[in-house]
Amino acid sequence: MDTTLTSTDYIQGSSGLSIAMVCDFFHPAVGGVENHIFMLSVELIRRGHKVIIITHSHPPNRVGVRWILPCIKVYYIPLRTIASNATLPNFFTFLPYLRPILIRERIQLLHGHASLSSMAHEGLLHSHLMGVRTVFTDHSLFGFDDATGILTNKLLEAALRNVDAAICVSYTGRENTVLRGSLNPSTVHVIPNAVVADQFKPGTEPLPLDNVNIIVISRLAYRKGVDLLVATAPRICARFPNVRFIIGGDGPKLTALLQMREKNLLHDQIQLLGSVRHQDVLIQGSIFLNTSLTEAFGVAILEAACTGLYVVSTRVGGVPEVLPEDMIFFARPEEDDVVRALSEAIYSVMAGKHDPHKAHERVRGMYDWAKIAQRTELVYHGVMSSPERDLWTRIDDGLGRYAGPIFTIILIVDCMFFIFLEWLTPRDHIDYVLDEWDAARFAQWCQHETEKSESR
Amino acid sequence: MNGDGWEKILWRDQPFSDNYVPPSFLSALKRNANVQPYTYTPLVLATLSITQHAAVLFIFLSVFIHLHNESLDPRLVVWTCIIGIKTVKSSILVFLALIAVTPVLKTLTEATSSDSIWALAAILFGLNVLLADYGGPAPGPHRLTSVMSMNAAISASVVLASRLKTNLSVFGLILFAVLLFALFPILRKRLKLCSPLVVSSITLGITGVSVAVFGSVTPGGAVLLFCALFFITFGCPAVLVWAQKFKNEIRGPWDPAVPQVWSAVE
Repeated sequence: MDTTLTSTDYIQGSSGLSIAMVCDFFHPAVGGVENHIFMLSVELIRRGHKVIIITHSHPPNRVGVRWILPCIKVYYIPLRTIASNATLPNFFTFLPYLRPILIRERIQLLHGHASLSSMAHEGLLHSHLMGVRTVFTDHSLFGFDDATGILTNKLLEAALRNVDAAICVSYTGRENTVLRGSLNPSTVHVIPNAVVADQFKPGTEPLPLDNVNIIVISRLAYRKGVDLLVATAPRICARFPNVRFIIGGDGPKLTALLQMREKNLLHDQIQLLGSVRHQDVLIQGSIFLNTSLTEAFGVAILEAACTGLYVVSTRVGGVPEVLPEDMIFFARPEEDDVVRALSEAIYSVMAGKHDPHKAHERVRGMYDWAKIAQRTELVYHGVMSSPERDLWTRIDDGLGRYAGPIFTIILIVDCMFFIFLEWLTPRDHIDYVLDEWDAARFAQWCQHETEKSESR
Repeated sequence: MNGDGWEKILWRDQPFSDNYVPPSFLSALKRNANVQPYTYTPLVLATLSITQHAAVLFIFLSVFIHLHNESLDPRLVVWTCIIGIKTVKSSILVFLALIAVTPVLKTLTEATSSDSIWALAAILFGLNVLLADYGGPAPGPHRLTSVMSMNAAISASVVLASRLKTNLSVFGLILFAVLLFALFPILRKRLKLCSPLVVSSITLGITGVSVAVFGSVTPGGAVLLFCALFFITFGCPAVLVWAQKFKNEIRGPWDPAVPQVWSAVE
């Protein structure tokens, strides 16, 4: 999409809000959540809001305050990460960083992302101290019977007691979040992800009908159903000698795939690429296979469909909501059923029944980041016009016999810590941001620079 | 599709607000779908392994206390152990090795105060009881926890043995420990296959011996031990059966699917 802004895009009108996106997962890390935050921020800026992003630093290079294009200010906070890029949940250490940032940037609304991000949780906990309203987006699904679920669900429930509105990326995700956070369902909104259609265009030359390439792009982990892929790929290769698998991605289950290829001598039919850019691989194929065991939304499916690929996917989580039934083949998460669905898709593609360009145009009409930002903005306005809950309501909000008192203590200690910080660094000692990004001036300056270099 | 025209799809804009709660909200939620409630009698039978283990532990402790007080002839312990052994040839090697290291074991922790030894032994025996494998015979290698359980018990016996006064009593105690903590669990697993009547009577026997032997040390303690074993066998399963009414297992479309793969089973 066009990420350059003109001055008319950037009008800090009276309706424009100052928004801080808080999440552990952001650039330079890559992934669905990271991309979502970036695209949403860009579109919100285009709609006249001011957006900053707060995430943890990636030493040694990515530290301090950075601007990223088009004009998003990113604060990289020096918090240590523990596992898979998330910081340690400790409830308090983020406050000394968050308070001056929210004050000097005159933030009105804090938008936390991802339920495994403890920075987002902490942001939601601290915001009310500065009179900042909160929105939270949940990007993933969690069960109720595994260790991760049990531990994070209670943390999430506590964090969501402080939130003014929540957003989920699919209806299944909303049911899950409402149950996990014991929320009133009418405070939880469903706003899906979107796709930048211009980045995912089908190739201009039609793909050959007799040679079918099946694309798999995913993190190679158990939850992504690599076991199903390992079981089905040799059977498909044996049945259709003209089919090739192109598998992109890396992860702990890569060895299983390599072993399968070695054992069945399928080096000419299965190609393993490692980590790659999605767009480059997607245009080579006509079928996209997704074998995930759980998926809140499945951006990969959407990107593939947008590139004009025929999608074969397991029917899990929010996947059935993403595409109309005639653009996707569903399989149960069973070996035999995946083989059946994949075979049907291959026959269908070989018969020339699938038109990539038509599929691309259909997806282009379905999902658009501008629309997503507009819907998110409605949530923001709803939050800003709703009455704020006072401290006593927060304390009184029962969390259960054991977790309740613990989180009440955390809340009260947090308030005292805040009062201490107010005394330590009073507000008039904080240097407020005076000049906001002026896109017109930036454009003028860029033009000036280019002219200078051209005249040289 | 509902009566109001709302559909569970994201790819088309619908004339509803984003926080609209459809009537079908949470209709896919299943409560306690795969739960098989426990019944009392099989639970009691399963608990017998724990009772046996606890009883055996107290037999060992009583024997140790008697040896420590020198109110039991160590020769009796040694002979009792030897009578139970059938494969003489392989056992001789173990005996000789044990006899050889006995003097070392006896003075191993001499410099440590007795209080520390009691505490250490208590912790190790606690570990032993917690980690022991109370299941039936299973194919494949031992679980790590059951091996750790045995190690904890043997270590506890070694530190206790170093409080004894003669080499023979150290030898007897270690031999007894190997019998009870390394070999008895194997027997206990085999017993799981026998009829409930056999298992119950054997458990009753072990419990009787345990209470009687412990009674010779402290009569009051024996009463407590009997109550504890009784509670483990009959009280705890009852508590578990009662607690099941609080069971609330939630399943829905958000749960990770379990992949059904046939070729991996081979």
